[in-house]
Amino acid sequence: MAALRANNWRGYVFVAPATLYLALFAFFPMVFAGYMSLHRWHLLKEDHPFVGLANFTTMLADPFFRNAIYNTLIYVVFSVPLGVVTSLAVAALVAQRLRGVGVFRTLYYIPAIGSKVAISMVWIWILLPEVGLINASLKWLGGEGTTNFLAEPGWAMAALVAMSLGIGLGPRMIIFLAGIQSVPQTYYEAAALDGCTAWKRFRHVTLPLLAPTTLFVVITTTIASFQLFTEVYMMTRGGPRRTTDVVLYHIYKEAWQKFEVGMASAMSYVLFAMILIVALLQFRIMRRGLSEGAVA
Amino acid sequence: MRAARLILGSVAIVSLAGGCADDEQAATTVLRVANWGGAQVEPEFVRLERRFREEFEVLHPGVRLRVEQIPGPGQYAPKLLMMHVTGSVPDVIHLDASSAAVFIDNHVLRDLTPFVESDPGFDLSEYFENVVNIARRGDELYAIPLDFTPMVMYYNKKLFDQAGVPYPRTGWTCTDFLEAAKKLTVFADDSRKAPVQYGVSFENVMPFWVPWLWTSGGDVLDPSGKKASAYFDGPETTQAMQFLVDLMTKHRVAPHLKESAAAGVDLFRSGRAAMELKGHWMMIDYRADGINFGVVGLPTNTSKRVTVIYEAGMSITRKARHPELAWEYIKFMTSKDVQVRRVASGLAISANKEAAAQYAGDPIEDAFIEEVAYARPPWGATVERYPFIEELGREMMEDILYSDGELPVEEALRQTAKLIDAALAEP
Repeated sequence: MAALRANNWRGYVFVAPATLYLALFAFFPMVFAGYMSLHRWHLLKEDHPFVGLANFTTMLADPFFRNAIYNTLIYVVFSVPLGVVTSLAVAALVAQRLRGVGVFRTLYYIPAIGSKVAISMVWIWILLPEVGLINASLKWLGGEGTTNFLAEPGWAMAALVAMSLGIGLGPRMIIFLAGIQSVPQTYYEAAALDGCTAWKRFRHVTLPLLAPTTLFVVITTTIASFQLFTEVYMMTRGGPRRTTDVVLYHIYKEAWQKFEVGMASAMSYVLFAMILIVALLQFRIMRRGLSEGAVA
Repeated sequence: MRAARLILGSVAIVSLAGGCADDEQAATTVLRVANWGGAQVEPEFVRLERRFREEFEVLHPGVRLRVEQIPGPGQYAPKLLMMHVTGSVPDVIHLDASSAAVFIDNHVLRDLTPFVESDPGFDLSEYFENVVNIARRGDELYAIPLDFTPMVMYYNKKLFDQAGVPYPRTGWTCTDFLEAAKKLTVFADDSRKAPVQYGVSFENVMPFWVPWLWTSGGDVLDPSGKKASAYFDGPETTQAMQFLVDLMTKHRVAPHLKESAAAGVDLFRSGRAAMELKGHWMMIDYRADGINFGVVGLPTNTSKRVTVIYEAGMSITRKARHPELAWEYIKFMTSKDVQVRRVASGLAISANKEAAAQYAGDPIEDAFIEEVAYARPPWGATVERYPFIEELGREMMEDILYSDGELPVEEALRQTAKLIDAALAEP
């Protein structure tokens, strides 16, 4: 026992850099942001008076912040289910043992290696009226082709959701693919012997066994969706008419246009709480599903 | 044991690297200068800037200039302010009149009066007085102006000739303007749905449309800059805003936001808009494209001749490490010799009167210079939160235009004035 403990120092040495890094650049800023959120803290003013929970009450009474929460929820509600279903479908397709399937796997993954800024620029072009890929295609099909997707309230959010499907597809697909491939072949053979169609094999073998993978993908996609920022910053700047002003972009404006970093920290904590609650709920609901699936 | 040796080894390497850096710094003094802009700037202009840098280094042996470019819309002020807070701000910063207040009022900059007064080689009267005054606070002065531009109306002579409309002249009224714009608008067919050519282009950027409020006697804030009510929703501003909105919705002589974005290009530049309210900087592109244009002041129905002036000055930061050297650099950059060569690019008008006079005689330059006497600084020069107000103004314009008439201009102005009041009232 003593010998074991004497050897432990090597372990500590190995985890020290990562621990130090996290402490310095993740945990300390988090705690400090919590401290700032209880103060009226203007970046450039000398004194930062303690205001208790005033930042939180002010923010929750602010119609613009509530609008940002609403927009974020809209984005999450559409982008998460659609994103998970599309990437699962694509993963199921590229899991087939077919010639050239590797090419498709690569193609679907490519958007994930590009920078979001570059992809946003490409999408700005795709969405342009008249000359953009979508409008030009609509025109070719006999439509008007004049919809300015990023400038019309309603369309802009839809465009962001559509874009998220493409960007997030690759990483989600890879995880689903790994999950699908780890399902033992014997189960499929047994199911086939029992006369299951391909759809039934997918529905009753793949899907239940994939539940832990799905849980992981749903939660990571949800977190990423709550943290939507780059695309909004690049493409819509929260407009038109604040329909794409999401919480993280709102926080950015609070901190870097108004320099109210105390309020921005408080808003970050609200976002953190929202993500935590939703993730925990998903975890509980899907875990229940998991254990029921195991019993069945 | 091996781990310990590894750690020791890396420590040695790190300290070695540190040693090198120290040696270099001992040999030269580094003067840090912050500037906006980045990759989009003309290569010719970049070369010119490098030449000035080299000339300055020759004049001051042992000094190395380090220009730090901070590109990106809305990134410049936040980044510099953050650098100020952390004590890593450059010695010299370029100061944009539109966001000068946040720097001056938070004591990021030094008062330059002592430098001006103790330096016999510097004469403040060489610069346009009302441009100098942008960075003045009582007896204190926080920037020496580099260059500037008033906003003027550009017009495309070819399109005016085609439509048989006489060129606009100083003293024209809003009625003249509207008549001309109507004649210069060309529709694809009789449905009058989508113009193929507009009388005037429009961009929903508040700095570009605020002069319209001023020429009709309205304003965003009261003279003290403390509140918007009774000004932003006053009768003059309401009338001016209605006029602007009507250009797009009722008369169809200016592109609705949907249409201007749809074009995806600068409508004036591509010959699809006959007029445009812009600054001197656009001349580089228009000349490069061979557009035959003229410029004139804004039309007005009141006797109030006014436009906004956007300016770049140079300031020394309060936390500068080499303030004396910084002053030498500012003097060098704003000197007639450097200015004459710098404004040759067409970017702006030199704030140095002698340098600006070099270009006198050119009708376009003269038209710009004429406007200087009527130009007033943007609110951002004196109101710290003005950039945020400009954001509210942009959103309001979107609200009005996308509501398809459901949100009356009056109501929108009243609502936004309240929001601005609230933003300004926060302690």
